[in-house]
Amino acid sequence: MNRTNKGASKDALFRFLGEGTDKLIIAVLLGSICLFVLYPILRIFSQSVLVDGWLSFDAYADVWQGYRTSLWNSLFSSVLTAFFCTFLSVAVALVMTSSRGWVRGLMMGVILITMVSPPFVSSLAYIQLYGRRGWITHRLLGISWDPYNCWGVIWMQSISFVPMNALFLSGILTKMDTASIHAARDLGAGTRAILMDVVLPLIKPGILVTVLLTFVRALADFGTPTIIGGRFNTLASDIYIQLIGYSNPTKAAAMNVILLVPTLIAFLAYRVMLEKSDKLTAGRGGQGTVDLKLHRCGAVGILAMVFSMLFFVMMLLQYGSIFASGFMKVTRGVYSFSLDYVRQLIKYDSATIVRSVVYALIVSFVGTFFAMLFAYYTGRRNVPGRRFFDFLVMMPYMIPGTCFGIGYILAFNKAPMKLTGTALIVMACMLFKQLPTTTKLCSAALTQVPRTLELSARDLGGGRMAVLRDVILPGMRTAFFTCFTHNFSSSMTTAGAIIFLINPGKKLLVFNLFDKVYLGEYPMASLIATLIIVIVLTVEGLVWLFSRRKGKRYVS
Amino acid sequence: MYLELKSLKKKFDGKDVVCDLSLSLEKGKLLCILGSSGCGKTTTLNMIGGFLEPDSGSIRLDGMDITKLPPERRPVSTVFQSYGLFPHMTLLENVIYGLKFRGYRKAEARKKGMEYLDLVGLADRANAMVHEISGGQQQRVALARALIVEPKLCLLDEPFCNLDAALRVKMRQELKKLQRELDMTMVFVTHDQEEALHLADQIAIMEQGVLVQDDSPMNLYRNPANTFVRDFLSLDQLVWMEDGTLMKVVKDGRGQL
Repeated sequence: MNRTNKGASKDALFRFLGEGTDKLIIAVLLGSICLFVLYPILRIFSQSVLVDGWLSFDAYADVWQGYRTSLWNSLFSSVLTAFFCTFLSVAVALVMTSSRGWVRGLMMGVILITMVSPPFVSSLAYIQLYGRRGWITHRLLGISWDPYNCWGVIWMQSISFVPMNALFLSGILTKMDTASIHAARDLGAGTRAILMDVVLPLIKPGILVTVLLTFVRALADFGTPTIIGGRFNTLASDIYIQLIGYSNPTKAAAMNVILLVPTLIAFLAYRVMLEKSDKLTAGRGGQGTVDLKLHRCGAVGILAMVFSMLFFVMMLLQYGSIFASGFMKVTRGVYSFSLDYVRQLIKYDSATIVRSVVYALIVSFVGTFFAMLFAYYTGRRNVPGRRFFDFLVMMPYMIPGTCFGIGYILAFNKAPMKLTGTALIVMACMLFKQLPTTTKLCSAALTQVPRTLELSARDLGGGRMAVLRDVILPGMRTAFFTCFTHNFSSSMTTAGAIIFLINPGKKLLVFNLFDKVYLGEYPMASLIATLIIVIVLTVEGLVWLFSRRKGKRYVS
Repeated sequence: MYLELKSLKKKFDGKDVVCDLSLSLEKGKLLCILGSSGCGKTTTLNMIGGFLEPDSGSIRLDGMDITKLPPERRPVSTVFQSYGLFPHMTLLENVIYGLKFRGYRKAEARKKGMEYLDLVGLADRANAMVHEISGGQQQRVALARALIVEPKLCLLDEPFCNLDAALRVKMRQELKKLQRELDMTMVFVTHDQEEALHLADQIAIMEQGVLVQDDSPMNLYRNPANTFVRDFLSLDQLVWMEDGTLMKVVKDGRGQL
């Protein structure tokens, strides 16, 4: 009797502690979202309209006066990029999903490499291949032209956004109800009719989503116009110059707010379209391929094949040039193999390499757990202001990376929260910038853990912490690995958000890459890009191996 | 015979899914292929529909060898288990889709489409979208869409398995009526014994890719080939009344199916 009593009181204590931890987790989650998402965004707005504590719209007037061309350029190039890129993406997605065997493998390989590539590689390859002294334009064709203009920007942006879009679209294509396609065939539709009557109409909302997302990404992209735009400035590249060159945060903030307007409009439309798309493709597909013979689909099919071939050839050229030029040396116009750049990189940048990996690993661990917990608490538990926080967490996905970064500078440059120059601010910025994607992944995984499991655990006597530890976290195991790899590759490759936050004494690889491209040290830049790709692929491979090994143990 | 399957064979990953299946069916009759899941009934149906090519054997329909024809050129149409309705089209557009490939003019097609929608009792919902109607109604649209092209053979893949019990009974009565009215030859795949016994003119029972017995419901009832057939059809619990209706014996000795 006495013993059970003792046991019971111990249990009660644990339960009490568990409930306490539970509350603490909620407080930490919500508090840090307010601090690292809401506050920086609010700071951008307040900075842009407050001058010495007084409300003033001078900054906006200035921007409107001085940067109308940039704004116009931004809209013009982003709209064109959105259309070209979507066109290419649809072609690539169609070819990818309807092909099999080694062709499919090769395409997936190329897409995978592009997904783990740092930004700026397209621009870098563009200069090396098609620039004034480009391998193709100058050496092969013997022409000398000026590649720094708006068409180069549009073309490079279009190409570099294709992989993500193609993956998104092929996801929709493979989710499509295969019975629809079978039914059309059964009723007499040939391949051409199936493509035009069934496949394309069904992915139409998905195509529009692609247009909108690409538009937003193009608007936010400062790297491409900065590097290959020449005299073609966009609002995003001007923000960069405004902050780095003139250190004028008020103006930069106002420009960001202006840039936010078209972005948010596009996002509203995007939400509507995405819902439509989900409705149309709520099928049972999931076979990974679509049974469609593209070469028999008439002009549209042929066009799709030609354009995706073009895309893959360009990609191969691009990566070929990047991988090669880091290991080559040019003496009097003759190229030869050399490890000079490798030696140089190791000599000067080994600390940077280690630092980049360490930052990325920390962000991956913390970010993944944060996302899992957030997904659980907002998805399953009655957290106050759930919808509001759901919305807040999505914000970093919508707003341009540079904008988010400036928000951080403005928010954390004064005591008591002076974080600028520290490692913490860089990692926090990475973490919260990636949080929208990782929470989405975790929420999706959570729907696979039935609520009844959670209820049974509680029914059998488990406290809240036991539910979390024994049911929720194990159930999201696969999501953990997916989020981890996503976090890692993003942390190694994103530049926009953190470019202003990096302390010159504590550089990261991405930052060095941008620096080298900007300074025209293309072989070194290529080597850094290659190194980033190799590191990310290695870590992803290790995570994959690890997930498989653990998985086996669970099964046996 | 109108439909003749001769020694059909199909392997997946070296495993026999359908082995040496021969079946024949008269015009205007309804054949049920009955069996538990994984017995090869859907594979058989997919071979008849042209979605799978048999490893060997032949399929003849109305005197023509259709074994090698792709689905779009077979005079066969299918009602899919998940219906396969086009979510971006109205009911009418769904129904008349097949006419597009048969040289119909738009006005003609619409007129005929309305007739068939009327036939399944959905003429007043012609302009509704697929997600706006119920499961039973979607089932009817899929049926109308398959029948409007006047196929020589209509295939149905467990068409009622997504419906609730009461609706299922109603739908199978409607299907039987429609089949008789149009004198349509049909092959129906199901794992539901009651459904088979009520609908079919002829039942083919399959087990692990092999045809166990193929006969009329009455003959199956009278002379089951083996205990498997008897148990699978739960014949011990059925009584065939003199007026041709089927009675199910429940525990207290009464009850009707």
